[in-house]
Amino acid sequence: MGNYTFYKDNREFIKALESYGELVTIQQEVDWDLEMGAIVRRVCEKRLAAPYFKKIKDYPGFEALGAPLATYTRLAIAMGLNPKTSIPEISDEYVRRTTGNPIPPVLVERKNAPCKDNILTGKDADLFKLPGPMVHDGDGGRYLATWHFVVAKDPDTGTINWGMYRQMVFDERTMVGPVLPFSDMGKMFYGKYVPKNKPMPFATVIGCDPLSGIAACAPSPIPEDQFTGMLMGKPVELVKCETCDLEVPAHAEIIIEGEVIPNVWIEEAPFGEYTGYRTSPREPRTVYRIKAITYRNHPILTVSNMGVPTDEGQLLRSFSLGLEMRKLLESQGIPITGVYMLPESTHHMVVVGVRPAYSNIATQIANLVFGSKLSPWFHMVIVVDEETDIYNKDDVIHALATKCHPIRGIRKYEHSVGTPLYPFADPDDRKWSRGAQVLFDCTFPLDWPKSDLPIKVSFNKVYPKEVQEKVLKNWKTYGFKD
Amino acid sequence: MAQKEYDTFILSDPALIPEDREMELIVRDLTPPDIRYKYRSAYVCAMISKSESKYPDRLWIRLGRGQLQEKPWSMKILKELNKFT
Repeated sequence: MGNYTFYKDNREFIKALESYGELVTIQQEVDWDLEMGAIVRRVCEKRLAAPYFKKIKDYPGFEALGAPLATYTRLAIAMGLNPKTSIPEISDEYVRRTTGNPIPPVLVERKNAPCKDNILTGKDADLFKLPGPMVHDGDGGRYLATWHFVVAKDPDTGTINWGMYRQMVFDERTMVGPVLPFSDMGKMFYGKYVPKNKPMPFATVIGCDPLSGIAACAPSPIPEDQFTGMLMGKPVELVKCETCDLEVPAHAEIIIEGEVIPNVWIEEAPFGEYTGYRTSPREPRTVYRIKAITYRNHPILTVSNMGVPTDEGQLLRSFSLGLEMRKLLESQGIPITGVYMLPESTHHMVVVGVRPAYSNIATQIANLVFGSKLSPWFHMVIVVDEETDIYNKDDVIHALATKCHPIRGIRKYEHSVGTPLYPFADPDDRKWSRGAQVLFDCTFPLDWPKSDLPIKVSFNKVYPKEVQEKVLKNWKTYGFKD
Repeated sequence: MAQKEYDTFILSDPALIPEDREMELIVRDLTPPDIRYKYRSAYVCAMISKSESKYPDRLWIRLGRGQLQEKPWSMKILKELNKFT
């Protein structure tokens, strides 16, 4: 186990954000009906500090934290790193922690679980007692669960899944949301419970510690409760649910327990989505009926606001998708120099750096990542050689525009698994989760004569070292400030 | 009693929606007595009209991606339907 700094709950994380100047505490009352969503949206678009709402209209005693992990700075803080840690360093640390042995969770007694401070069951378990925000004007309903995860258990193997599946409040005891059939929970529910017409127990966790949230975003084969332990360096503390055989983080703010109902669908959406559009249609989707709500005293709801980049869904999903691809490619012995999925691409575009050791290596990379379970969530792979900085958008655009042959360098993959959220997809393709994918090969062919290879013209490449050093040494005396 | 307001999402061409006959639809309550219940959805059996004044309650129309239409319709709710009993 590692000895990492981590925050055991949302409240410790809020204090850490405040200490690093990454929090704006809003004492003024804000309206859950659009105002709170609008503030969070603007924070995401301007890359500002996380808003901490102390007073929510109509809901005295409740607070909310917006955009908890919408920047790499806040991701670094969540991982107990220096806020100025670079993206490659955060990535290396994440891969290092999550490559060892899984760390199973520990169970704590109810008396040590703050999420049991208040317990509502029966008719008292009413979703409108929680300040679910109307996040965007035109949404299909109030989305109580935007930065959260849903706990479910495989009925055959007992394997736990934590995943972020958005949930819209329908009425006092009903939520509804998309559970795509190729997602982990979709495979469990539609593959194992629905054929037996059995309801699937679930627990929605809102306001968890930041590392549990990061784990729930990660498309790792390791169960997320154990993955969280790997990120923390010690077991995450769980407590048993009130109404079902599931366990939830003991220090979370709000827990909603119930059952996912087979063979019943209710219309859900539209919703402002992570692609930056309201794309997926309003249509019948998966139904959650609730049995209990438990929450801490003075609970703090977490609120994400999906839209144009960058929100935490885009940032963390890009981060973990890219790094799971890195693990996959490294496990296959591909000589990659790194993998970076751009959050600004809404996790649709990944850049893979490689030493082009043999012909068609870019195709091999694309085949591997498009053939993996990660595949439905992205559709563009850009493969660059080692002289391109994969973290530098200018460098990547330059490589794409200059090294990728408009015909030979682009390979199209048809008949892929897609999602209903793809804005570019035809309406019928969205309905049936059909997609397409594309590779942009930005490496020069190996069979070109060396003398024909274009030479990159940059300060670092085309001047002798002594000239570079002289220029850098005299830079300020020339009159430049930086 | 003040006029109640609801909205609903129309997923097809609004011009093709029939009027003045019992129909089932999902409505959201925009003016509940307890404001915490705003946007509560329900399946209802109702009569609707594209006239703003024909039935007692106002019904705002949104299209499939949430686009609010300029003029409201009117509606009379006959009963709320419970899909879970």
